[in-house]
Amino acid sequence: MLRYFERLASRLEAKITKTPDMPNARRKFALEIAKLGIRLYSGKHRVAWCGVVAPFDMLSAMNVTSCFVEFVGAMLAATGAVGTFLEESEHGGFAADTCGFHRAVIGAAMKGLMPLPDLMIATTCPCTGGLAAMENLGRMFGKELFVLDVPTSDTPESVHYLANQYRDMFRFISSRTGETLDEDKLREAMVKSNRARELMVEVYQLAQNVPSPASGQSLANFGIVMALFLGTDAGIEIAQAYKDEFELMVQNGQSGVPAEKIRLLWLQNRIQFKNPLIKMLEQEYQASIVIDELNDITWEAIDPTDPFTGIAKRTITNPLNGEINQRLDHVRRLSKAYKIDGAVNLCHWGCRQGTGARGLIQAGLKELEIPVVNLEVDCVDTRNFAEGQLRTRLEAFMEMLGTNQSLRRT
Amino acid sequence: MYYLGVDLGSLSCDAVLLGGDEGILASSVVPTGARNQEAVARAIDELLKAASITEDQIRATVSTGYGRDRVEQRLAAVTEITCHARGIRSLFGGTEVLIDIGGQDSKAVRLDTDGQVSDFAMNDKCAAGTGRFLEAMARALQVDIEELSDLDIGASGGVTLSSMCTVFAESEVVSLIADGVAVNEIVSGLNRAIASRIVALVRRIAPATDGLSIAMSGGVAHNHGVVRALSQAFGTTLLVPPRPDTVGALGAALIAREKDNRGD
Repeated sequence: MLRYFERLASRLEAKITKTPDMPNARRKFALEIAKLGIRLYSGKHRVAWCGVVAPFDMLSAMNVTSCFVEFVGAMLAATGAVGTFLEESEHGGFAADTCGFHRAVIGAAMKGLMPLPDLMIATTCPCTGGLAAMENLGRMFGKELFVLDVPTSDTPESVHYLANQYRDMFRFISSRTGETLDEDKLREAMVKSNRARELMVEVYQLAQNVPSPASGQSLANFGIVMALFLGTDAGIEIAQAYKDEFELMVQNGQSGVPAEKIRLLWLQNRIQFKNPLIKMLEQEYQASIVIDELNDITWEAIDPTDPFTGIAKRTITNPLNGEINQRLDHVRRLSKAYKIDGAVNLCHWGCRQGTGARGLIQAGLKELEIPVVNLEVDCVDTRNFAEGQLRTRLEAFMEMLGTNQSLRRT
Repeated sequence: MYYLGVDLGSLSCDAVLLGGDEGILASSVVPTGARNQEAVARAIDELLKAASITEDQIRATVSTGYGRDRVEQRLAAVTEITCHARGIRSLFGGTEVLIDIGGQDSKAVRLDTDGQVSDFAMNDKCAAGTGRFLEAMARALQVDIEELSDLDIGASGGVTLSSMCTVFAESEVVSLIADGVAVNEIVSGLNRAIASRIVALVRRIAPATDGLSIAMSGGVAHNHGVVRALSQAFGTTLLVPPRPDTVGALGAALIAREKDNRGD
């Protein structure tokens, strides 16, 4: 994996150097991902494997290179080599109908492809499957698991409860690494998180334009992965590059998908391995995924003098936390803001969190007269990819939208 | 002036020929087999012979079905969801819900008052209850697929199948035969199991079907037993055209004619 990330970084650096006057936003984003991969796998950095909503900016302030474990599943899927690792986890007794992200990670750990972490920090949000995967990994690595118990309701008591857990987390990290908390460094990280946040808000606002500067791939995995770069200069640089690129495109009347006709909202995760579906949507139907459910800023700027409270609030108000109504309200708000014509609801196999809400999401969007197509697919497991069936669903959905298009954009 | 619709499915390749403004001039259904292009050629050849015309007299062809992109003669490829909806509306004008069960998938389609698709759902993950499933069950029962159609008649409906996985259902059927359970009871159980899956699919696009006009297309609509089980499950008689397997090809041919009239 280290060689893979090094080669990826080198290729991307060469491309960025070749066109220095371009914003190169997606490449800069990918380059930082490759650099993160190098840090995780080089053996030279203190590493924490985490749950999805861990406070990565806080961990960065403690000199810990941290990442959610699902990242490894996604990267293995992107390389096309995920099958071996999925099989390994299945041979090891991990149920084949559980989440592909987690199966891939377990398989990678079993095959020695996950670097031994210094720390493991799990979160109870957004899914219990992720927590179970972390517990499995903790046992494999012989590492104690620190679990952040994220309450589901946004109340002062809940925020206080989680903020105290972050304080405990710092004590846990200090006791395992000997590193003490530098409060100035933590404040600085919060200032950087806030700056990246401001820029990301602008990026998303620009993406709302009709036509949108966003294309099907430009913001894929953006929101969820950007969390890993919060609190760092890299996070600010990536967000700035996107803002510059989108601003320029909007000024020039340029759209991410040429002659954009249909605007789509993508619910849940993207398919992580190479597949022709997005290209087909863009080229054959001029359909643009202008917004992903996971791409949004739903948190207020953090008070650098009280980071624990601010980050606790950020985590608790994540739309994927708590009642489904919170998620539904968020999806409805995105649909209106981005003038959506239809939504693609990716129902990731094995994801009870996501697929459990399928009917409610569909009914909720129907109230706004937004049609939804459900795609039952495993985002990671290439062995279960029924391309023909998925193409038929998407193409029929495009035909339906093409006939019934309500032109919300006007 | 002639218009052709070709539905290249997993089990059969169906073709329908239309004239400039008349109804169906000819139709053909041939097994798809392993070679798609050959099946398309055979289906078209049969049509041309039946209508006594040559291929160069066909003004536009629209293809549909899982192999729609492999039909070389196509002006356009349109999904079977749109084509079946278009085809059924030309046969039963008031259709509000369409059930299409083909060789390897099943679909429920909701049509609005203009006959346009307003929603649809397809089977998840596996192809239980489709044409291939029924073929496997016919093999297990050692009967022809056509024979299966009325084998449920006279059953009390006391047998319930516990699995719809093709492999497990096949072995369950074999066990029931070995236990001496009457064939009509087993077939009735199979039909009700298929109907139950389809009802769940339809509920996703039409939570309440009382008073709605429901039609059925696709090869499985030839099976009277399945249609009976579905009619019973929905509490209404399903509308089934005489050639349900050619509804997709008919829709494709109608779209070909419309496209040509619009100058697309």
